[in-house]
Amino acid sequence: MDFHFSEDSLLLASSVRDYLTDTHGVEVLRRLDADGAQDDAIWQGLVDMGLTALLIPEADGGLGRSLPEAALIAVECGRACVAEPLVDVAFVSVPYLLAKGDGASLGAYATGAVRAPLAHRINPYAIGTSGIAMQSVDPLRTLHAPTADTSDDPHLLNLGALMAGAQLVGVAEAMLHQAVEYAKVRQQFGQPIGAFQAIKHQLANCAVAIEFARPVLWRAASALADGLASAPVHVSHAKLAAGDAAILTAETAHQVHGAMGYTYEVDLHFWMKRAWAVQGYWGSRAFHYNRVEYAILGGSHPIGADASFA
Amino acid sequence: MRLHFTAEQEAFRAEVRAWMARHVPKEPLITLECQWGFQQHVAWEKTLASGNWGMVTWPKTYGGRALDLIQWLIFEEEYFAAGGPNRANQNGIFLLGPTIMEFGSDEQKARFLPPMAAGEVIWAQAWSEPGAGSDMAAIRSTAIRDGDHYVINGQKTWSSRAAFADWGFGIFRTDPDSSRHKGLSFVLFDLNTPGITRRPIRQLHGETGFAELFFDDVRVPVENCLAGEGQGWNVAMATAGFERGLMLRSPGRFQATAKRLVDLYRQHQDAASPAAREAVVSAWMRAQAYCYNTYMVAAKIMAGGKIGAEASLNKIFWSELDRDMHRTAMQLLGAYAELKKFDDGSVNQWLEGYIFAHSGPIYAGSNEVQRNITAERLLGLPRVGAG
Ligand SMILES: Cc1cc2nc3c(=O)[nH]c(=O)nc-3n(C[C@H](O)[C@H](O)[C@H](O)COP(=O)(O)OP(=O)(O)OC[C@H]3O[C@@H](n4cnc5c(N)ncnc54)[C@H](O)[C@@H]3O)c2cc1C
Repeated sequence: MDFHFSEDSLLLASSVRDYLTDTHGVEVLRRLDADGAQDDAIWQGLVDMGLTALLIPEADGGLGRSLPEAALIAVECGRACVAEPLVDVAFVSVPYLLAKGDGASLGAYATGAVRAPLAHRINPYAIGTSGIAMQSVDPLRTLHAPTADTSDDPHLLNLGALMAGAQLVGVAEAMLHQAVEYAKVRQQFGQPIGAFQAIKHQLANCAVAIEFARPVLWRAASALADGLASAPVHVSHAKLAAGDAAILTAETAHQVHGAMGYTYEVDLHFWMKRAWAVQGYWGSRAFHYNRVEYAILGGSHPIGADASFA
Repeated sequence: MRLHFTAEQEAFRAEVRAWMARHVPKEPLITLECQWGFQQHVAWEKTLASGNWGMVTWPKTYGGRALDLIQWLIFEEEYFAAGGPNRANQNGIFLLGPTIMEFGSDEQKARFLPPMAAGEVIWAQAWSEPGAGSDMAAIRSTAIRDGDHYVINGQKTWSSRAAFADWGFGIFRTDPDSSRHKGLSFVLFDLNTPGITRRPIRQLHGETGFAELFFDDVRVPVENCLAGEGQGWNVAMATAGFERGLMLRSPGRFQATAKRLVDLYRQHQDAASPAAREAVVSAWMRAQAYCYNTYMVAAKIMAGGKIGAEASLNKIFWSELDRDMHRTAMQLLGAYAELKKFDDGSVNQWLEGYIFAHSGPIYAGSNEVQRNITAERLLGLPRVGAG
């Protein structure tokens, strides 16, 4: 029992974080919004970082990293509001194909030639696929109604939901950070608004929600990686906790910004809209809640402290 | 990241489970908050100590088993799953014990820790005063040096179990000219010292849970001061960290409550609202989240890390979870919720728990204060005015 990431995993995540901070700041989001959300150079940068090959085994020329590590990086993609479909391609489609023993196409994933994730029936519209274009509230999401075959494999769904949850945690952390920074500088009544307890306590509530969503995510990632029969319950739990934390933080961060938050000028809106979009992606709140309820109240999932890691 | 127990850890779990199955009283003890219940609970502390289960993480020389935090968590999980009684000495073993371990001299460790682990000396915490609740730096009770003694005068209040306990650990102003955080010292005293008057206070449930303490020229030897004169605030903050952080409320307790809540739901599901159903499912999820988080904190500490202001997040989370779970149970019980005992004579534990759960967001630093700490120390928001 060792519930923490190794130094090496954390270093990997922080290098991705630094890279995205340097190359994928708000000016990039604004540019993508103005010019159309796809940018080959950004995608190529992620490929060059090795991220498309992150989960491909070393024997096949990949980095051979684990699912929990991929989740850690998906958090960073959420934090940077990455528009490219890296997470769905490299952290959802790739491990799915690996689990299926379908290694033939992995080379094309590693090189970044595949830029469209596998579609699943739970998502009526998918990102990065071709088909009839649909418009998302999130200006950086290119949505299409898939024309190709869609899968209904639960493993693909679980991977998708896990990684959606991971991105939501990153999105929530980014919004909390922006709200805190704003609360430090915006002055009213002769003091920073962040000195008002009504502001402090709302932001503290977001910190609590995020703090207790994160470990659920790692639990789910690890359960899925270990192939536990209980993994779907953990995944749904993670998606719920992350989605609830992200929505709470979006609403709170917006409130803290006052009318500024209601503008297109303040960049917060990119993350709020990502939260709105991803909270229902790879399974709605109701879908995931029902899965947990069925397992817990129905009795199929063992409960009690000794079953936490079963 | 490796989320499964080793064979050794599983064997330890089995050992705890077997011992608890043989020793945990079949009938729940009566409440800890009255004289007779307190005695029952002290007897239980001694039973625990006879199996060497008093405080498993402590070094063997002080009556422990020198186990690591993962084993401690397993112990706690099995303890609460078996319906183990509340710990009469929780303020000793979970708060003062770790504090002495960190700040005490070797002599103080040898003197105070073994009888604590053995359940022979039961400790009460004496920090709060009528004018110093959340604002603990407003403490006015004094301990003035006189030769090799301190002479204590003043008043403490809300001291849990002080009506029946043996010793107390308090914070007093040793420098009478000091104010706020300075000039305070952490002093241990025998509650039977002449000059101490204990006045029991009846709690919400009607029993005597805590007491007021009046000090009238109480003489305490200077060697009972922990970490040196004037260090009281620093030591107290470390103790408060233990209180809010890992030790006082381990996840096994809330997971056991969540499990009982699921059982209760099954008995009452025909009459339950969808909202109550969701609250039950949410209770399980939150108890699990608390568990995972605690295992992460344990791993961090075992790797040499420390917990700081994050302990405030913990405190907010468990206390509100506990209150929500018990409220949900009361709603499921409907007309039965108000009964102190059910038809079959069994105590309505949900009602008792609901009453007690009201104190969680207050003791160990109120949740408003924890939110201030979170905002100021973790998020870095400005400290202006009170708080
Ligand atoms: C069951 C129980 C057991 C206890 N056991 C012990 C014990 O063993 N030893 C001991 O020393 N003490 C004990 N206490 C006392 C406990 O530590 C205090 O109750 C607590 O610190 C709050 O102080 P107070 O009750 O004076 O409330 P107050 O400080 O008067 O607070 C009242 C309300 O005002 C709010 N408030 C206060 N300051 C602020 C602020 N800065 N910002 C926002 N809101 C604020 C509080 O959050 C609370 O809601 C116990 C209390 C309870 C309920």
